[in-house]
Amino acid sequence: MAYNGGAVIVMTGKNCVAIATDLRFGIQHQTVSNNHPKVYRINDKCFIGISGLVTDAQTLYQKLVFRHNLYKLREERDMTPQVLSNLVGNMLYEKRFGPYFTEPVICGLDTQDKPFISGMDLIGASVYTEDFLLVGTMTPAMYGLCETLYKKDMNEDELFETVSQCMLSSIERDAMSGWGAEVTIITPAKTYKKKLLARQD
Amino acid sequence: MMCEEAMIDRDDYAKRVRKERKNRIMIEINFDKISSSIDSNHEEDITRDLKYLSTTHFELPPNSKPGEFLDQVWDHPNAPKPIEMAHGTTTLAFVFNGGVIVAVDSKSTQGSYVASRTVKKVIEITPNLLGTMAGGAADCSFWERELGRRCRLYELRNKELISVAAASKILANIVYSYKGYGLSMGTMITGWDKTGPCLYYVDNDGTRLKGQRFSVGSGSTYAYGVLDSGYKPDLTDQEAQELGRRAVYHATHRDAMSGGFINVYHVKETGWVKISSDDCFKLYQKYYNVKPINDNNNNA
Amino acid sequence: MARRYDQRTTIFSPEGRIYQVEYAMAAIRHAGATVGILASDGIVLAAEKKTIAKLLDSSKTQAEKMFKIDDHVVCAVAGITSDANILINHARLSSQRYFYTYQEPMPVEQLVSQICDTKQGYTQYGGLRPFGVSFLYAGWDSQFGFQLYQSDPSGNFAGWKATSIGGENSQVAQSVLRSSYKPDMQLKEALELALKVLTKTMDRSNINSEKLEFSYITRKDGKLVYHLFDAKELDDFIKATDLGQESDDQ
Repeated sequence: MAYNGGAVIVMTGKNCVAIATDLRFGIQHQTVSNNHPKVYRINDKCFIGISGLVTDAQTLYQKLVFRHNLYKLREERDMTPQVLSNLVGNMLYEKRFGPYFTEPVICGLDTQDKPFISGMDLIGASVYTEDFLLVGTMTPAMYGLCETLYKKDMNEDELFETVSQCMLSSIERDAMSGWGAEVTIITPAKTYKKKLLARQD
Repeated sequence: MMCEEAMIDRDDYAKRVRKERKNRIMIEINFDKISSSIDSNHEEDITRDLKYLSTTHFELPPNSKPGEFLDQVWDHPNAPKPIEMAHGTTTLAFVFNGGVIVAVDSKSTQGSYVASRTVKKVIEITPNLLGTMAGGAADCSFWERELGRRCRLYELRNKELISVAAASKILANIVYSYKGYGLSMGTMITGWDKTGPCLYYVDNDGTRLKGQRFSVGSGSTYAYGVLDSGYKPDLTDQEAQELGRRAVYHATHRDAMSGGFINVYHVKETGWVKISSDDCFKLYQKYYNVKPINDNNNNA
Repeated sequence: MARRYDQRTTIFSPEGRIYQVEYAMAAIRHAGATVGILASDGIVLAAEKKTIAKLLDSSKTQAEKMFKIDDHVVCAVAGITSDANILINHARLSSQRYFYTYQEPMPVEQLVSQICDTKQGYTQYGGLRPFGVSFLYAGWDSQFGFQLYQSDPSGNFAGWKATSIGGENSQVAQSVLRSSYKPDMQLKEALELALKVLTKTMDRSNINSEKLEFSYITRKDGKLVYHLFDAKELDDFIKATDLGQESDDQ
């Protein structure tokens, strides 16, 4: 889990969700890239952040694209985050005795544009929360920050600010993640991405 | 030379170390006098106490092989994790026509937790000598302070500054006498003496090397890359300082365990001067002309 | 007709024919015609809908004969739709499998050839009935650009500039296409030609959105777009395309 390093935060606001990721890709202590977001777009209203072993994260994401494309062709609609969450959970449990070393978090807006976030461990035990979820190599440092800075019913700008502060502050205390960050905000009207400037050491 | 050492019998080795300690001028540790018994003779008591206080001494496990015993303790499943501050480090020093440049990072990590970004890894031994810190922070700072004391005594006794060769030899002898006890240090001793600018590498297994360029720590390989490609003896002072800074900067970028601030020292004929202390983040913005991107929307 | 050699799908008749395959092709002829025309900037697929019952809820089954296989390939069906569904599921799966393996879209011809291998298998191995479907495939890949393919129940396939499958008047359709197809056709002209072909093969009184299905693929801003005409759009298009009512321009 700490082979490549990385950190992802998802947080809800009022009718919006945000997902933040750091940009480091390393092999143990060696930083290989500083442009490697761990957040993947499934569709405009549904994103998945996958921390852990990057090779497994990529495979898992590609399998999700596979399933999502078939789902779209059959159903002629996009997957909701709830459906995606169940799909990922089942896919992870399929590998119960030889798991992917990943911890995914899922976020998005459902058909009623209600925020949804969920996360799971490496074999698919899901957790659903109303406020925020974090995964990665520096969760202890991040929890305190999120707990302190989180407010209920933030608008998209407040949410961006909060999630960015949580991400930037927590990667300062983690040697294995950082090197820049990227925040994706999902609102009913639009989905957009912002880059955050961060330390490069 | 280390392999040879490893084959020598431990008991025999411990005995030899003690004998050597008595023979050379080095730290006296009297293991037998650590536990004091109640003595009726008051005067004797005081003299013993004074003697006890005037020497550096460590409490050691009541065991004939303290090093081995310590290893066993750390190996025990219930043993706490050895706290190794400043385990990941980038330090470098090089000699050029204008003296010696010493450049170091300042990050201290425990595992992947960043304990501090403002550690001083250059140890100012005397106004003429600098040492660097890599490995155990406690070991480095203690023994280089002790080295400073010895160097000052040498100055007072001999009415001249100690040579870098001699100073580094003192440190090498100290760590060698504690070989197997688990000291952890990789250090560079630099200064300017009668022979000119001088640089030595000394580490915990007793290695002592004279050289033109050294880099120590987890980020050293990256630093060497920049240092070796940019080095020439006739650099100007400014070029040399910038080379050291850049070499450490790039190492902090690649090495997760190095970072924080970059401290640059310049050893000149008149003694060392602290040149700069730059935040890596500021250097990043300066080197790459990065402007804050947080305020403007760069939508996906 | 021959009664001894048509029991099994895998048996040749003395003249060297496989009757079951020919029967399957005959079944396709009963279905409405489907036309495909390759234009320089896209491909048109158009089809005649045969089954229109009053009570059929057409809102649930918008497209009867056009199916998307992937973002870069669509197909039109003539024949037994239930058979087609099986093959389309296969095709969708293999296209995704290809993308998963190579992280790039499956080349169109490879996809067509894959489906045809499946079709062929059912003409050779015992105990199975061949698939009663012909397909028109419209696709785009980076190597060969826009491509139009046709396949039949035997597993044969070929690339075409313009072709039709199904329909009792396929001869008519083919001859109209032959005479009116121009190289370097634009998508708009191709749409009009497709309508013209279908007008010729169908009962002329019934040319409206209820009897037709029109779609095309084209590229917009470096992305492939698949568009299926809805009823209003189609009626407007038919109205706008003045075919000179019966006036044979041949």
